Amino acid sequence: MSEESTKKYTEQEKGEVFNNEFMPHVDSMYNFAYRLTFDEDDSKDLVQDTYLKAFRFINSFERGTNAKAWLFRILKNSFINEFRKKSKQPAKVDYNEVESYYNSDDVDANITTDLRVETVQHMIGDEITGALNALPVDFRTVIILSDLEGFTYEEMAKILDIPIGTVRSRLHRARNMLREKLTGYATEMGYN
Amino acid sequence: MSDFSVWFEETFKECYCEHRGLVDEKRFTELVQVILDNEADDKSRAIFEHKIKTCIKSSNCFEDEKCIQEAIKDKLVEHRSVIPNDLAQSIKKSINL
Repeated sequence: MSEESTKKYTEQEKGEVFNNEFMPHVDSMYNFAYRLTFDEDDSKDLVQDTYLKAFRFINSFERGTNAKAWLFRILKNSFINEFRKKSKQPAKVDYNEVESYYNSDDVDANITTDLRVETVQHMIGDEITGALNALPVDFRTVIILSDLEGFTYEEMAKILDIPIGTVRSRLHRARNMLREKLTGYATEMGYN
Repeated sequence: MSDFSVWFEETFKECYCEHRGLVDEKRFTELVQVILDNEADDKSRAIFEHKIKTCIKSSNCFEDEKCIQEAIKDKLVEHRSVIPNDLAQSIKKSINL
């Protein structure tokens, strides 16, 4: 992201854009941050950092365009580039290894998704959230963006800087992984 | 024909045997998810809708997938974190608004 040399908004307009277009998304931003970091203080810092950057680069935002997607992209980049390094919850796995495993062609053969509708209906939000939180971050992210925040594949492609076909396949794999975890959990708890 | 339509048609064909029976439910669920996410184009959606009207196995697979996806979404949505009261104010304060 680069700061434009020409000033696009007056100080008053900046305030209007910030208050009317950015601030309404603060709840979604916090939820997204919390599902990435699992820590209240870290989430707060991440959201504040995102809004500071948004204000700093406000001239590169086109009024009336998709502010939510623009903010989510900043937050995602902050998390990946800066925040994850100093996070209280260091990555427990090498993401590159996980991604190459889950992007391989034969992975679906190893995933069982024999999950029944009634099983999910019997589960509580805590159990499903726990299963989601156990997914590697990039797979967790696509489910959050699609199923919780309602972004389209095209918007997700822009937020995540990946091709739309990758969004589609990663989302499918993420959902399979989530179901696999739920199936395992259901078996453990005797739901099945 | 768009890249998406080509992908959809090819994947769709691979889900069925020569007698047009559904043989690959795992791949079929990927198509179902695209449909449920409202990401299919009109042509792909028409192909899909025709099939689930005429193939009971495809129809059941679609209904199951739809119910599971909705149940998971609902439970995740109702389980959102509590937003700190002072967050919005402290953001505004930090940029002097």
